[in-house]
Amino acid sequence: MEKPSWTPIVLSGAIPREATDLLAILVMGIVALEASLATIGPPVFGSRLWLPLLVVPPTVALASVSTTTRRTKEELALFAYGGSSWQILLRYFFRGAICALIAFSPIILQGFLIPSSIPELFLPVLALLLAGGLFYSLPSLRRIRSSSFVEHYKS
Amino acid sequence: MPSVIETRSVVVEYPSIRGVLRLYDQGVSVKLDQGDFLAVLGGSGWGKSTLVNVILGLEKPIHGSVSFRDHDVTRESFVKRCSLVKTAAVFQRPTALPQMTVSQNLHLALSLAGVPRKERDERIKEALAFFGLDKIERSYPDGLSAGQRRRIDLARALAVKPELLVIDEPTGDLDGSATNLLIPLLRGLNRNQGTTIFMTTALPRQASQAKHQVHLRPPMVLTPENRMVGD
Repeated sequence: MEKPSWTPIVLSGAIPREATDLLAILVMGIVALEASLATIGPPVFGSRLWLPLLVVPPTVALASVSTTTRRTKEELALFAYGGSSWQILLRYFFRGAICALIAFSPIILQGFLIPSSIPELFLPVLALLLAGGLFYSLPSLRRIRSSSFVEHYKS
Repeated sequence: MPSVIETRSVVVEYPSIRGVLRLYDQGVSVKLDQGDFLAVLGGSGWGKSTLVNVILGLEKPIHGSVSFRDHDVTRESFVKRCSLVKTAAVFQRPTALPQMTVSQNLHLALSLAGVPRKERDERIKEALAFFGLDKIERSYPDGLSAGQRRRIDLARALAVKPELLVIDEPTGDLDGSATNLLIPLLRGLNRNQGTTIFMTTALPRQASQAKHQVHLRPPMVLTPENRMVGD
């Protein structure tokens, strides 16, 4: 019996592989690296993460918006294959969260090396993943919800 | 036995420069039972693609209803409709994921439809060979012609082995030889596998190949003064 599955939609697009994704990772990575190397900063390690986190929403949103034409094609195809809007959003949410996680991995790993700072890392890392995922998927939500979206199926 | 799809007095409206554009002023009512083959015939801008979108749940009518197997799905999504009737859609504009090869696109569509892995390869091979895509199975859609991308969509839809195939102007971007192949293929699918087909076309000769035909009328424009003017 054939049972439709939603996982291929999410998994096939969760890994960042576009040039804009890599640029976003690079920009956020530079900020994260700067924060981790800074000699002046909050003494508590987790607190050092909050300020650099502000760079995440605009950077991932820009990465998402700058490929609108390609992304629209992708969304149209996924709908045609039988995907739903929430599956498509989840696909982009994961991609955005992964971009942010990769970019901030140096500073997070540095935090893990100091056992006392591990509990403090929990909240900023959660905020990082949420901000990355949410702001990466918002442009897609806006496109899918727009009344002109389905007009793309017509010639 | 419940009908596969049924529309009752469907009317769609769009804002336009001259006023409100009303499609299917009298309402479109069609009923397709298992194994039917219906062609919707109409001119450019008469609402053929819109009717496809309404049937798939991508656009909502302002009046009327759409049922799948006697379930009212007027406000339901395409996914919900697919759960009632296994549906594949081929749109007027080619749709394929640009970052995946032809073969990967088909794999994704089949895995979404829940086709077991073992069966997928066989079905994809068959579909690619049938549509003459086997030599370009590793190419990316953006580098292919419109006709080839159209064939990818057809291969993807047919590989799913749907109960209902909704197809918008099937021969739009195809060359003569592919066009000549396609309509007999659809008839064969309908006759041999019992696939229910909903097709739109602007060509009367193509529509005549279907078991039933519906003729759309030109849209009406409702002016701000509430005066109706023929388009």
